[in-house]
Amino acid sequence: MKRSFAQSLALYATVIFTLAMILFPVYWLLVTALSTTNELYRLPPTFWPADPQWGIFARVWAAKPILLWLWNSMLAAVGSVALSMLVSVSAGYALSRYSMRGGATMGLFVLTAKMLPATLLVIPLFSIFSSFGLIGSLWTLVLAHSTMIIPFATWMLKGYFDTIPKELEQAAMVDGCSPIGAMVRVVLPIATPGLAATALYAFVLSWADYAYARTFLVNSPDNWTANLGITTMQGEYVTYWNDISAASVFIAVPIIAIYLFLERYLVGGLTAGAEK
Amino acid sequence: MTDTVQAGRRKFFDLARPSRQHLLGYILIAPAVLMVAAIIVWPLILAIDLSFQQVKIPRLGGASRPFSISNYTWLFSSQEFWLACWVTLKLVVIVTAGSVAVGLSTALLANNRFRGRTVARLGMALPWAVPEIIAVVIFAWMFDTSFGLFGWLAIQLGFADQMIPWVSSSTAAFWAVAITMVWKGFPFVSIMCLAGLQSIPSDYYAAAKVDGASVWQRFRWITMPLLMPVLGVTLVLTLLWVFRDFSIIKVLTGGGPLRSTQTLSIMTYDQAFQYHNFGRAAAVGVVTLVICIIASLLMLGRRSKSIY
Repeated sequence: MKRSFAQSLALYATVIFTLAMILFPVYWLLVTALSTTNELYRLPPTFWPADPQWGIFARVWAAKPILLWLWNSMLAAVGSVALSMLVSVSAGYALSRYSMRGGATMGLFVLTAKMLPATLLVIPLFSIFSSFGLIGSLWTLVLAHSTMIIPFATWMLKGYFDTIPKELEQAAMVDGCSPIGAMVRVVLPIATPGLAATALYAFVLSWADYAYARTFLVNSPDNWTANLGITTMQGEYVTYWNDISAASVFIAVPIIAIYLFLERYLVGGLTAGAEK
Repeated sequence: MTDTVQAGRRKFFDLARPSRQHLLGYILIAPAVLMVAAIIVWPLILAIDLSFQQVKIPRLGGASRPFSISNYTWLFSSQEFWLACWVTLKLVVIVTAGSVAVGLSTALLANNRFRGRTVARLGMALPWAVPEIIAVVIFAWMFDTSFGLFGWLAIQLGFADQMIPWVSSSTAAFWAVAITMVWKGFPFVSIMCLAGLQSIPSDYYAAAKVDGASVWQRFRWITMPLLMPVLGVTLVLTLLWVFRDFSIIKVLTGGGPLRSTQTLSIMTYDQAFQYHNFGRAAAVGVVTLVICIIASLLMLGRRSKSIY
């Protein structure tokens, strides 16, 4: 399939135009952060500040506990991913290897869990957590995010285990390995890319949460996650758009970096869930 | 005698024995089942139970109120609920259609062979990696009533003769939410469609070309039918996302003005945590869940298996 010069030109022009449209909001975030207040509150808008205020990043970093927010987001994400993976890996393996009563029902359950609105689940979880005195603690997020992660992770991991031939474990067991040993020493090492993809995707899910953090942690500023912290910078009357944009850059960068460098794994996770 | 008992006992715990294999399966799945029972099933039962009680702020272990369907009668007779249903429906249709249109076109574009294709593909799906709250920060400023870029653009392009009151006008606020959601939602469609497109063997296109099929014919009779299964699932997942989304609407408009952007999700949350009517909130949430289940089963039909 050879393209003519005109066709190539049209293709490249379309690609560049589309990219520009899609990425413009991200560019605008950066421009807003770097503009002076005068440039922001003026029409026509400034498309590139005359004197980029690079110092704003240091100023916002010092003025707001951004590192603490990021750290809390990280703790909640690592906690919920670790907890979920622990139970999901063995459950996914069991669903893949053993025909069990209720195995098909499990699929239906995962489907329902995917549809469960967080705004519904947050109501009983709030009562449960408050009666255990957990409100305000990061543990609420670890558990609440697990409700999103466990069903999909179990199913996704089952899919990965299905692609690994059973004969490998049988060979290991003939050589004297126990069933658990065969799983841990033979199957899990082979499934590492699958495990990484699932964990990574789960991490992004947890990092994106706002509903649970807002409900459980709003009165404990020490435990605010990045997303919750950012929204508190939105003033009721005045919002300092350059400050909030600079803080947003800090919070978006970790996930965007994960995406840019590990996109292969993430996309594998996204599509594995739906292509079967 | 003792020897055989010992041997028998040892064998009972010998999980390698074929007849014990199932037992091992159940042991491996038990932690997940327990976790799910504790943090999903039990809360869900509590929520359904709450929706049948006239309760403001529930205490666990407190005396349960008598069974009552008053939350549901309130719900179905309140204008607010039907308005929320209408807003949800509008938003679901517009955002899903918009995301599929943009997502499918970008996927078709990225499926071409050209230099820098990997970078272009990464860039086109980048909004997927931007956390929803950050997307809202960006768009809230672009939709600013006094100095926002979109208002200024609308004037320059002749759509409006003055800045658009994005916050106080119902229509404008609705479109602000819809546009933000499409920007955040289309990359998922794009990623899924691209994966689907790449699994179509190029032989099909070559054969069709030999037979003289035009670009449109190839798209209509090869690409579309083969992409349909992936597209169907993607459509339902996007629809479910819009249906249940909380953060974008809550932070961008808070459901206002005059509830013009209040979807069922937002109504559920506000009934509970703003008006402290947990019983009513649970009722709205349960109805939302039922609608979600019915809608996706209807759309997927027999293929509903493909979603999990």
